[in-house]
Parts: sequence; structure tokens; C-alpha cells
Amino acid sequence: MKRISIYLILFIFVLAACTPEIEEFSPTQGEADLSNFVAVGNSLTAGFTNGELYLEGQKHAFPKLMAEQMALAGGGDFNQPLMVDGTGFGNRLMLGIKEACDGEAGLAPVPYDQEFNPENMISIAGQGPFNNFGVPGAKIFHLLTPLYSNPQGGNPYFARFASNPGNVSVMDEVMATNFSFFSLWIGSNDVLGYAVSGGENTGDSITSGNLFQTSLFGILTQLTSNGAKGVISTVPEITNIPFFNTVPYNALVIEDEATRDALNLSYEQLGITFELGPNPFIIEDQNAPGGVRQIKENEYVLLTVPQDSIKCAQWGSAKPIPHYFVLDEEEAAKVEAAVDNYNGIILSVAQEMNLALADVNEILSKSVTEGLTYDGIDFSAEFITGGLFSVDGIHLSKRGNAIIANHFIMAINAQYNAQIPRVTVSEYQGIPFP
Amino acid sequence: MKKTFALLLLFIVANSLTYGGGYQVLLQGNKQTAMGLVGTGITLGSESIFYNPGALPFLRDKYSFSLGASGIMSNVVFQKEAPSVYEAETDNPFGTPFYIYGAGKISDKLSIGIGAYTPFGSSTDWGESWAGRFLIQDISLFAVYIQPTVAYQINDQLGIGIGFIYAMGDVTLNKALPLTGSDGSEAGVNMEGSTANYGFNAGITYRPTDQLEFGLTYRSEILMEMEGGDANFTVPQSLAASFPAENEFDAELPLPATINFGASYKASEQLTLALDINFTQWSTYDSLIFDFKTNTPSLQDSRNPRLYDDNLVFRVGGRYKANDQWIVAAGAYYDMPAVKDNYYNPETPDAHKLGLSAGFTYSPSENFDVDASILYIMGFERDATYEPGKFGGTYKYNAVVPGLGINYHF
Repeated sequence: MKRISIYLILFIFVLAACTPEIEEFSPTQGEADLSNFVAVGNSLTAGFTNGELYLEGQKHAFPKLMAEQMALAGGGDFNQPLMVDGTGFGNRLMLGIKEACDGEAGLAPVPYDQEFNPENMISIAGQGPFNNFGVPGAKIFHLLTPLYSNPQGGNPYFARFASNPGNVSVMDEVMATNFSFFSLWIGSNDVLGYAVSGGENTGDSITSGNLFQTSLFGILTQLTSNGAKGVISTVPEITNIPFFNTVPYNALVIEDEATRDALNLSYEQLGITFELGPNPFIIEDQNAPGGVRQIKENEYVLLTVPQDSIKCAQWGSAKPIPHYFVLDEEEAAKVEAAVDNYNGIILSVAQEMNLALADVNEILSKSVTEGLTYDGIDFSAEFITGGLFSVDGIHLSKRGNAIIANHFIMAINAQYNAQIPRVTVSEYQGIPFP
Repeated sequence: MKKTFALLLLFIVANSLTYGGGYQVLLQGNKQTAMGLVGTGITLGSESIFYNPGALPFLRDKYSFSLGASGIMSNVVFQKEAPSVYEAETDNPFGTPFYIYGAGKISDKLSIGIGAYTPFGSSTDWGESWAGRFLIQDISLFAVYIQPTVAYQINDQLGIGIGFIYAMGDVTLNKALPLTGSDGSEAGVNMEGSTANYGFNAGITYRPTDQLEFGLTYRSEILMEMEGGDANFTVPQSLAASFPAENEFDAELPLPATINFGASYKASEQLTLALDINFTQWSTYDSLIFDFKTNTPSLQDSRNPRLYDDNLVFRVGGRYKANDQWIVAAGAYYDMPAVKDNYYNPETPDAHKLGLSAGFTYSPSENFDVDASILYIMGFERDATYEPGKFGGTYKYNAVVPGLGINYHF
């Protein structure tokens, strides 16, 4: 009898030996209807990364990642105007080894190693209706004009998937779908075009606050006209991105006295002096005496400045860095003021229209001031090593897209009492190193 | 004896999951395991070399030998912090802590003994590609203690004993690094090291009456100071200079001090009841610091906070002598976590745990017994995060541990 009871106890224990169980998380859509989600915006929404829009980037676009999570909470398919391969329109960059003019080789963005495929230019309008209406390069008012789909003078990325090129606006196309939920992240290009071309006198201007407000109101009125709910994002303070923060203002390093003395002599009349060690670059400035001056600490040398010209052709020292590679104090202030203004408008409109608000600006600012950590990975706004931004220094990496997707998801969950699961940031690939 | 031990060491990949909080393992005697791992205040055989050296003079026989091992089958499941549908599960190797003891009485008062046992160990394998791989992929650590012991009986009621501990430890771990190669492969580091150090185990046994026994023991902290462990980095080629391939590291891992109190009561000729309280000074484990021999701007020494709490375990058990051949036993314990909620690194799954155990001793002859035990450990669901890595969720743990031992005494 005792023996039997021992066996019984053993048996119970063995039965209990199976894996422990935790109650599964059950996603819900709350008050939102996620069945047909459309994403409206610019390159960030399209999945543009590494300097180009291409297949793999599109598959990791933050709205695509959101849609995959929404599908667990009642969401449907998310049809994108996909490129046919990894080359897009041929401007893709990757991280490679580049030999500089002085013979030194180092890690740098280099052109992608596969040849451009013209099939990427062929219209795929027939594959619609689409869910991703992110158009690389779009400013806010572009979304409302039919000219934007024109193959000549319009936007080739949009012309490629517009149903009636030359006659439909992005918003016309959006409104032609039967969407139930939307995301809108727009406004970066309204300052970026100006900033990445070095500010004034370069052919691109900042969108005025009035135009921004009118356009935003027009877009949101349409998006909410059929009763759809949605999420809207703030515009990132673009002077935080690596494109403006990778080349230090004082990267003119003078190593020997002869060079220093020669520079001191040639700039003597302008009252500019040089020291051994790091010095501020010499930049072009039409308002400065002699048309040149030293760059200030709060001014930005663009990522696109030719490094070889600095290293071997005396740019920034004997010759000034051209103004279109520099965002000066005044220009940067204009950019920052415009972004602040846009964000003020976005915040008040979101509140007024009861939309979910993803404050992407806040999270990107945090990446600069204190850094971000997810799944044991540290992120910052540093170029390449920071992990958030792709090799172009402007657009998000795969993990950057995952982080932004989670911020949109959490904003939707908070506003609409939903439980859309977040993506797992560590499941996405980091920036590939050679 | 020496040969047997060397053989055992060869065969053992001691990779046990955690008992007694942190990475402590208290499976040092199958009779004790069957009773909820009590042993400080109850004298059952030469296992007292570990449980309470002060009890050796109270052993009935002149010579006592014990040998045994346990098999640990453990599982941890994980669900990422809500809202998330991410789940993961460990594939932990089968752990085999062991013990071997021999004790003898030199005179009426003086006893000596020697034991080898594995009081600390942990083996957790989350796999190469799970979401927490930048914290840990897999880790295996274990310590073997060898303890020569001397004990003295002061009078009929009181015995004291002390053992010198020679501790050997070994740790191997793999973790991923957030760097990706152009073929999509991920960087990682494999770290491996072993070391040895000294400590002691002291105990007092007090028997005020024939029915009652009390025990109190102290095992000292042993700091495993690893020097020149191997750190092998696998990184994309362009970063090889930043992560020297055959680097070395120094690190310290504490095996904390424990204070144990136990008592037992012989309720009748057949029935003995016992309890144990174990206090482990886990707060000594403040952080895990890897000091790399070659540092680069990308590879700095790393300081990983652990901030463990002191830990208490309460145990009760009983054994019932059915006849001259059979003794049955059962017990239970409640174990509190040493790992804090916000410093929970999945390398050491820790939780509030309930242990239930049972077993028997079969004595075919007067000098020989066989012990069998089974222990089921149920971890309570735990929401925890490793704050420095911002990685957390719900963890749940369980384990089944069968064990077998033999004793020879004359």
C-alpha cells in the first residue's frame, strides 16, 4: 500500500514535469477599426532607407511593421507599391571600405554593389489599391496637388504607382480606398530640403507655418471625413540627425607648425588665427568680410561634404567649404523655429480632432540627450554606430523603423484603448558591416 | 576513493539550475532532498559533512560513506512585457550535481571526514537567436567544493565541527553583440574561465534530549577570482581590430556565505520531523565586472549591475520508518528570490519557488542503504526586467529533480 502511494506521488510529479505555462497575451483593437489601415507621409512612411526606396527597405517600413502587429488585433492586409528588387531608382548606399585620397582606407557609405534595374521604374498602379502612401520627397502641400503624380515635373516615386498620373493627388488616391484607420507623418521635407542643401540660396525653401497649417487641416479633414480614426506624428528636430552631426565643426586638425604659420599668414588680414590641434573649419559666407569666416560651434557641416576635398584639397582651411555644405547659425535657427511651429500645430490639431499622437520628435531628441535602450541594444543619434539611422544619415535603419513603429503602436493603444502588440526590436537586423 | 572522484569529475558536466535563490544548489544528500532539503538539525549520515560538520560525532557507525547524484530537468518560459506576443523557452541541459562523502571516528570524541560536492551551479540556454540574446544566450557555471573536515564531541549533547573548503569553479557563457555582418550574421562573444579559492564550513550540533536536535552552521563566502579567462569575439571583418579575437578577461563571481539553522524532533520510534532555515548573503553580489586585457574604443570594460538581495529559505520535512527495510520521507520548502525585479538578467532565472519532495531509503542489509528522492520545484510567475538593458517580461520556472544515492556504514 505504501509502495503504491509512493508510485502515485512519483507519477504526479512526472505529470507536473511539463513546461510551465504563462497565459497568452491577447491583442485587441479597442475603439479603433484596424481592418483597412493606410499610411500617409513621405520617405519615412515609404520605407526609404540607405539613400533609396527599395524592396527590403519597404518591407521594414514602420507602417508595414505596424500593420503586421495590427493584423494580430483585427487588422487586414497591407499592400505596398513595392520595388522589384534591392536597387530601387539606383541611389542605394551601403557601408563599405573606401580608400581616401591619402591612401587610408576606412568605413564609409559607398554605392550599393548591384546594378540598377530599370524594371523598378515601370508603373505598378495596376497592383492597387495600396495601403502605403508614403512618397519620398513629399512636403505637406505636395499631398494635395495632382501635379505631383505627373511623370514630368512631378514625383517619380508617386508617378510610379498613381492610378491616373498627372491628374490625381496623393490624397485623391488615399480617399479612393476604403480605409478605416490612418497614420500621418509629414513635415520633415518641409524643412529638410532646405537644410540638406545648405539653407539659403540653394533653391529650396522652408514651408511657411500658414501653408503647413492649411494643408494639415485639409488633409486631416479628408482623412477623418469617413469616420476613420488615426494616428499623427510630430516632426523630428532635424538638426538632431546624423546628417548634420557627423562632421565636427572643428575637424580641421593642424599637426605641424609650418601649416599653422602658413594659414595664419594667409588669413592675417581677416583676423583669423589657427592653433596646433583642432580648429574650426573655414567656410564660405557672403556676409562675412572677404566672403569667408570660421564656422561656429552651433553650425553644421553636412554629411555630404566631400571628405577628400577636406583631406587633400585644403577645403575648410586654405579654401572655404562652400555654403551649400554648411547649415549656418541663422539657417539652423530658421529650421528649428519652423519645426517647433509645425509641432505646435500638430499637437493642437491632434488634440482637437482626438487623434492618437506619436511624439517621434521627443524620442529622437532623447536619443541625442541620453540615448535609448531596447532589448539590450543601446541606440543613439550617432552616425552608423548609433543604430537608429541608416547609412544615408537621414532615414531610419530597420531597427530604427521598429522603434518608431512601437511608438506609433503605443500611441494608438493609449488613445483608442487598444492592445496592439509591440514589435520586438532585437528581431530586426542591425546595419551590415563589411 | 581518489580515483573514483577523479572519474566522477571527468564525467560530470555539473550544470544545474538554481535552488536556494541565485545560483545555489542544495542537493547534497538524497535523504535530505527527500525531506525538503533539511539537514542542519538532523543527523542522517556522512552527508552532514556538508549539512553540519558538528553532527559527525553523533553518527551511529564508526565509518560512513555516501555517494549520490541528482538529475535536473528544468524549464523557463518567457513572455515579453505587454503588449507583446513574443514568447521564448529555455532548452536547458540536463544538470547533474553530485556528492561523495566519507567519515570515520578516530576516537570516542574525534571524527574526521572528507566530502566533495557541488553547492553552486547554473545552466541556462535560451538559444542563439532569442530576443534577449544581447544579455545572454547560454551560460553554464558550477563550483565543486572539496572539504576535509574534523569534528569533536564536547559532551553527550554538544558536537562541533569545521571543514576546510577548496573550491573549484568554472564558467562558460555566450552572448550576442549588436553588430551585424554584411551576410547578416551577428557578432558575439564566448567567455570561458576557471579558478579556485578557499573557505570553510563550520557547524554546531546540540542534542538537549534524545528526541530533540538543533544545528547551526556557517559556510564562508568564497570569491571566485577569475584571471586570464578566454574572451573570443566574433565580429564583422572591418571591426576585427576593435574586438581582438583572442582577448582575455578578469572577473569575480562571489559564492556567498550561508547561515543555516535547523531542528528535528523524534515524535515516535517511527516518525522524525525536521525544519531548516537557510540564510544566504547574496547581497555580496553587487555587479559582474569584465575587465578585458585589451581595451579598444569599442571594447571597454563592462560593469553589469546585479544587486542581489539576501535570501531566505524555509524548509520542513519528515521521515517515517515503516519497517527495518523501508523509510519513507517527504518535505517542502519555500524559497525567496535573490534577484531583484528590476535587475533580473535571464542568465539566472530566479523566482519565489515552492519545492515539494518525497523519497525513500531502502536498507537490504544493516550496513547498506539506497536512497531515492524526487523533487518538484514550482516557480511562481514573475514580472521582471533587466533595467540596464530595458529587457523584461513574465518569467515562469519549473524543474523536476530525481536523485539516487547509496550509503555504506559499519
